[in-house]
Amino acid sequence: MTSGRTVAHVTCLGCGCACDDITVVVERDRIASLVNACPLGQTWFGDGTVPEESRVKGRAGSLQRALTEATKLLTGAKRPLIYVAADVSCEAQREAVAIADRLRAALDTWAGGSAAGGVLAAQRRGRAGATLGEIRQRADVIVFWAVDPADRYPRYASRYAVEPRGLEAPEGRKSRTVIAVDVGPSRGPDDADTRVTIAPEDEVDALGVMRATVQNRWGEDDARFQPAAELARRLMQPRYVALVADGEPGPAPSDPDRAEALVALAQALNGPTRCALSTLRGGGNRAGAEQVLTWQTGFPCAVDFARGYPEYRPHGGGAAALVATGEVDAALVVGAAASVPEGIARGLGRVPTVVIGPRASAAPFPAAVAIDTGVAGIHEGGLAFRMDDVPLPLRPVLAGPRAAAATIHALREALEP
Amino acid sequence: MTTAARLRITGGTVYDPANGVDGVVRDVCIEGERIVADLPSGVPRLDARGMIVMPGGVDIHAHVAGSSVNHARRLLPEEHAADPVPGDAIRRSGTGGTLPSTFVTGYRYAGLGYTTAMEAAVAPLAARHAHAELDDTPILDSGCFVLLGNDDYLLRQIATGEATRARDYAGWLLGVTRGYAIKIVNPGGVARWKGGGSERNVTGLDDPVGSSAVTPRKILETLAGAANALALPHPVHVHCNNLGQAGNAATTLESMQAVAGQRAHFTHLQFHSYGGARGKEWKSAARDVIEYVNSHPEVSVDVGQVMFGAATTVTADSPVEYLLHSSTGRKWVNVDIELETGCGIVPYAYKEKAAVAALQWAVGLELFLLARDPWRVALSTDHPNGGTFLSYPQLIRLLMDRAYRDDRLKGVNQKLLAGSALLDGLAREYTLSEIVIITRAGPARLLGLTSKGHLAPGADADVTIYANEPDRAKMFATPRHVLKAGTLVVEDGQLRRAPAGRRLSVRPEHDRAVTRDLKRFFDDYACVSFENYGAEPVA
Repeated sequence: MTSGRTVAHVTCLGCGCACDDITVVVERDRIASLVNACPLGQTWFGDGTVPEESRVKGRAGSLQRALTEATKLLTGAKRPLIYVAADVSCEAQREAVAIADRLRAALDTWAGGSAAGGVLAAQRRGRAGATLGEIRQRADVIVFWAVDPADRYPRYASRYAVEPRGLEAPEGRKSRTVIAVDVGPSRGPDDADTRVTIAPEDEVDALGVMRATVQNRWGEDDARFQPAAELARRLMQPRYVALVADGEPGPAPSDPDRAEALVALAQALNGPTRCALSTLRGGGNRAGAEQVLTWQTGFPCAVDFARGYPEYRPHGGGAAALVATGEVDAALVVGAAASVPEGIARGLGRVPTVVIGPRASAAPFPAAVAIDTGVAGIHEGGLAFRMDDVPLPLRPVLAGPRAAAATIHALREALEP
Repeated sequence: MTTAARLRITGGTVYDPANGVDGVVRDVCIEGERIVADLPSGVPRLDARGMIVMPGGVDIHAHVAGSSVNHARRLLPEEHAADPVPGDAIRRSGTGGTLPSTFVTGYRYAGLGYTTAMEAAVAPLAARHAHAELDDTPILDSGCFVLLGNDDYLLRQIATGEATRARDYAGWLLGVTRGYAIKIVNPGGVARWKGGGSERNVTGLDDPVGSSAVTPRKILETLAGAANALALPHPVHVHCNNLGQAGNAATTLESMQAVAGQRAHFTHLQFHSYGGARGKEWKSAARDVIEYVNSHPEVSVDVGQVMFGAATTVTADSPVEYLLHSSTGRKWVNVDIELETGCGIVPYAYKEKAAVAALQWAVGLELFLLARDPWRVALSTDHPNGGTFLSYPQLIRLLMDRAYRDDRLKGVNQKLLAGSALLDGLAREYTLSEIVIITRAGPARLLGLTSKGHLAPGADADVTIYANEPDRAKMFATPRHVLKAGTLVVEDGQLRRAPAGRRLSVRPEHDRAVTRDLKRFFDDYACVSFENYGAEPVA
């Protein structure tokens, strides 16, 4: 029987942690087992099998025919939308932006939806951040603000923030104090050293009170906000505070006021001490899409090329609104169709859509053209970004369908006049 | 393939100071990507009669690509919205502002006659990102200065007296990040800022950083020594401690003395040439600082001129940005970068009527005008910190046209200018040849780019041709023709082609045994696999 081969130092895009210490064991052209992968990673890698089809109006055809149809459909559109979905490399994302530029299309990514609140807050105020490894080295107090990373970012605590020893945390977890802030049903980790409870309706105000306390501007004696003020005073003592919050708490756009209050608090804490806000973000290289859009257009999401240059439209509801209002008359999805948020997927069902990406032929919405590609990080290499904007290389472990970057590049060439 | 493209640029007045050519009418011949001595008759000609021909511009220090630059872009949607750049058959669309999108960066540099730019601050951890952006920055040849001097691995080697291992590490790091030179930013100061606690920066060369054996002085000595021992084409590129502080000229001079006798480049010197004292009145100390440079041939500098108008401060010197944010109340990005360095960003504007901005403007001009050897004083604005690269033509006019300069001087706040050489009157006007030196020939030589900055046979065919306008700002803002590696990218003032640029990088010889110790350090502390670190292709 064929003996297995192993590929080490593989980067997992199962969540934004982008753990790059995965060892993949391959047997008979399938992923047989994984070392270091969490349950999310296990699901993301699966056995590595993906469909390898090209479909036009539901019927299998050649890649060439599918590309020709896609070209026809997109060049015929008056108001195309390009949507960058998950599990493609930055190389593929760059090609997608080039196509949007060429077609004068609207362009959006995941960031234009659920993470938009954080993006806009960071544009108004900036950020007080750190790469995850720096939190590991420095943080002596870690506040989990209404999030337990165990749920959606399983190795965050073991790899970065809490458990590993760092330069200034020689005993790992024991060198750190963990504080859980529970906001309604959004609770911090169960094993926190201290808990503070805040009512959901008070959350943004509580963050404001904390900032005012840090800046010595809070003199009121409102019992409702005493726990918040008390927490703020406590956070002024340590050497380095990490404030951890979820940047994508749900499918709906995150609350920009909350996101801004978190940034403002983290910035203010850099007066009396040091503080970094760690905003948890999902996987699939969505952080990469934000980077690529920013360097190519100047804007991180919600870009419109209709006038021949990039314009920023972050307030209009992004791709979801464009498809819901029927404004677009064709769409190109680059990336895993299954990762397209439901609201957008529903709208895409109503316009002719080209899907190029992993499992395109199994898209959960009708696709006029579907071209299966490999999954970035499983079947193809390239560049991806961790949730904290650290770039990482992808290592393909299996041969797969034609690479997404090459396929989208071929489409781009076909679209050149 | 057919023979390489040939072109004879005829009848232009050539400025090629590296080869002693100072405004001589002669032809320049190009074959393929190189300058050649001659070509047979009948090859295509470009008529440059009445025009000025010089090598393509070389920017020795700018922030154009990578993690910090992209953080800054993301912070400034309002700037980008105000400066849209449409695409066409040749160009990708994009946006401008103080931090243009990658494509626009390439087009606009080429549009000024620049064909090479060095990205001056790349965190090793994010080197892969910087290279990806440079891949999307057309036309320009580019290289990355890699940040060292606040990185925990290096500081450990210094603490334990392992200078040889520190050198091997620097050599290894430049190789794996595809870097070009060693960049030091506020040695030890960023490490202190990241360490938390009450010591948020260093104040002088002998402050301890973690260990009493580690000081800014020790860091400078170690890395300057490493750069020289590794025989790098560009010496250590130093952003001194105490940037922007009144009285910091003393620190700057001490830093220069600390590495005396070794080649070293001190960057954006203007931001480090202030007299007075912390918390007291500022004044110019340009005279003292440039006098040291004048009398020490192993020292080179770029000026980091402040130009009035919009800027964005973006630097690895994160404690400085905290102070700027606190004093201006403007939006602020801080990112602590694991085990290595920092990143700080605050948007800014320099106003003629602001006393400190006027002083900074004057200090920069003094440095230029009092410098005796233009080969060691490169033109820069520390783009976009002191102003954007688009302001270079205005800066050139300030240097070449005393009447214009004196007129501008009258319009700026005079409060802090008392005693400055500029106010006392500086008659010097740069010659065209000197401008060619500080914008091309000098930076190329300082970078060790032997095939750039000149027009002798064998040189890269990077050539800029300007109309001989009496208004030098206008002349340098609108070249008639620009050739990059033999390709006519700007023709009759219009961008016609936008080929990809090349990456300039080094791979210094070093003792590979260093990787054994490094792997242990990675195993103990890093959050990126040793095998995935750097910017080289994997698998």
